[in-house]
Amino acid sequence: MAKVIVYPPTSMILSDLVERMGHKALVVPESVRKLATADEIESPPLNVTPEEPKKGLRYAAVDVPSGVRGRMALIGPLIEEAEAAIIVEDPGWLTGCAGCSRTNELVRLLIRTKGVPVLDLSYPTDDAEAKAFVQKIKAFLGELK
Amino acid sequence: MKVTKYVITSSESDILPSDIAMKIYGSKYDVNVKETCFGVVVSGEEEVINSLVKEIRALDPSGIFIKERGFPPGDPRRCRGRRGGGARPGFYMIESESKMLPMISRALASKGEAPPIPEKKKPLKPKRLEEIVKEDLS
Amino acid sequence: MIRVAQLSCGAEYSGIQKEIDRAAEKVGAKIIYPEVSLEDILNVEKKFGVSVASGDLNMAMARAVRIVENPELADAVIVMTCFRCAEAAIIRSEIRKFIHEHSRIPVLSYSFTERTTAETLLTRMEALVTTVKYRGLLARENQKGLTAGIDSGSTTTKAVVMRDNQVIGTGWVPTTEVLKSADDAFAAALQEAGIKKEEIQAVGVTGYGRFLVGKHVNARLIQEEITVNSKGAVFLADAQKGPATVIDIGGMDNKAISVQDGIPGGFTMGGICAGASGRFLELAAKRLGVEITELGKLALKGNYKNVAMNSYCIVFGTQSLVNSLSMGCKPEDVAMAACHSVAEQVYEQQLQEIEVKEPVIMVGGTSLIEGLPRAMEQLLQTKVTVPKYAQFIGAVGAALLVSGLLEG
Repeated sequence: MAKVIVYPPTSMILSDLVERMGHKALVVPESVRKLATADEIESPPLNVTPEEPKKGLRYAAVDVPSGVRGRMALIGPLIEEAEAAIIVEDPGWLTGCAGCSRTNELVRLLIRTKGVPVLDLSYPTDDAEAKAFVQKIKAFLGELK
Repeated sequence: MKVTKYVITSSESDILPSDIAMKIYGSKYDVNVKETCFGVVVSGEEEVINSLVKEIRALDPSGIFIKERGFPPGDPRRCRGRRGGGARPGFYMIESESKMLPMISRALASKGEAPPIPEKKKPLKPKRLEEIVKEDLS
Repeated sequence: MIRVAQLSCGAEYSGIQKEIDRAAEKVGAKIIYPEVSLEDILNVEKKFGVSVASGDLNMAMARAVRIVENPELADAVIVMTCFRCAEAAIIRSEIRKFIHEHSRIPVLSYSFTERTTAETLLTRMEALVTTVKYRGLLARENQKGLTAGIDSGSTTTKAVVMRDNQVIGTGWVPTTEVLKSADDAFAAALQEAGIKKEEIQAVGVTGYGRFLVGKHVNARLIQEEITVNSKGAVFLADAQKGPATVIDIGGMDNKAISVQDGIPGGFTMGGICAGASGRFLELAAKRLGVEITELGKLALKGNYKNVAMNSYCIVFGTQSLVNSLSMGCKPEDVAMAACHSVAEQVYEQQLQEIEVKEPVIMVGGTSLIEGLPRAMEQLLQTKVTVPKYAQFIGAVGAALLVSGLLEG
């Protein structure tokens, strides 16, 4: 079983395919869960406090906007854990945790420069593309230990 | 640890969110269930939820999809009624990806090699464009 | 309950959403999020004019479109994005303009960092809510009866006594102990007016010490400076109808307010840099060996271009001034360079955020340093008006507004 980070890091389709093929998908909702279900902090809605943008300094300098650093505090640790990655080309409708394009660019860069195997794809637009999409993912995941 | 997951059905699946909910109500599992327009949200201890979603997936292996969720179901911090309206930001991504699920389901269910995908059209070579301009303007 | 629609990107991830909610709650408002569909977000370019790479900004624009098409959805709007994000800065400004042009809903625009707190947002949020709640009171054009206004500022405390639309007494003291300074300024204004405290029908209070002073003098009106100062400015400059722009460079923060018929439509408050404040001019005067009251007249004789200013900073900028003096620059050029430096910083950092419409009215104590309005005129390429009693603007605004509460 390999730990596979998916991009967009909130993708249902990608995380489902990774998990159904026996691997562990690294996804943002798990980072959100750690914060949102913590007892002691009370900073709704996400329980992200000004501490998160400070933790994000590990991934981006202080002159990078606070929203980027705060998001990186959620996504950065997943990238560090990743043993492989599936990156789908930006479809133009990413919101919420993936709603900031500057963060997304940094996330893709850090994944690619990490040196783990990366599968690049686009979201399918018809059945033939969907079939190729699923088969490429199957083949990629099949090669991971 | 308690976890929450979305169980999302493809719009072409024969299984309805209410079928899934009924199955969970009738099961031995001690979990929280909430029906939504896309499927159901289930919440409970991690091992229990993992076994449960395995069983649910078996109802329609290629038509049911699972997604992690950070917040427990109906959390007031994310509920639109309590937080002043507006869908939570992640909703739009689920909606967008849900539209693709029928295609993904068919791809998962199909056997055999994927048909070759025709190459995407490339921009016209400048030379050919030049010829067209000349033809058109002559 | 005042409904404030939040159009933002990055607030939740900067850890400051709670601060926004808290500031809203303190002023009796509720944050709401207008409902939009996926299609609204995907088609935002057609209705708003652009779509960008960041989905959350597209969502903010789609929400702006929704509000303009359904103005009954919200009473006011805040547009907030991360400080230092260029993509967001462009969109934030365009959303503000879009709502301003297509509706009558007041808009507050702000760029935050993870250090933004409810306290930072409070005065801004209070002003936004006031413009909604007290539209009738703010439309008031005349002062009636015998009222007083006290402006408890960070550097100076001002007071006026007004009777039947006329200022009849003023008081001005440096702020030391907040309550004592308020008492002293008020006593001076009463003495000049020849009025006993008991005769005053109502007192209005503004400025950063307003809550403390307001309780102390049993004020009928305790109000933030943005609405009060804009009211005072258009009253004194006789610009109550139509558009106006009010610039107030204060001791601790600067305000730039775009006013329509006496009511603030959009405003910015800057308060981070001492180099863009009256303090910088005080230091410059000290270095030049002149009284602050003489600095402005000296500056009018000078040309800022003859002095190389390397920084807006109160430390390094002052160093530049000292260096140029030692290199033989004329004191009048140095005085004007100091005025230009303050004006330019306000111009670059605040006036870009609001609609600058004529007449441009400068108020507050710094507006009496003649070089400063002159420098602003040069930057804006337009005439800048400094009304009589400009240094008492908050006190006049408070005395005027509180008189509106006397009738029923």
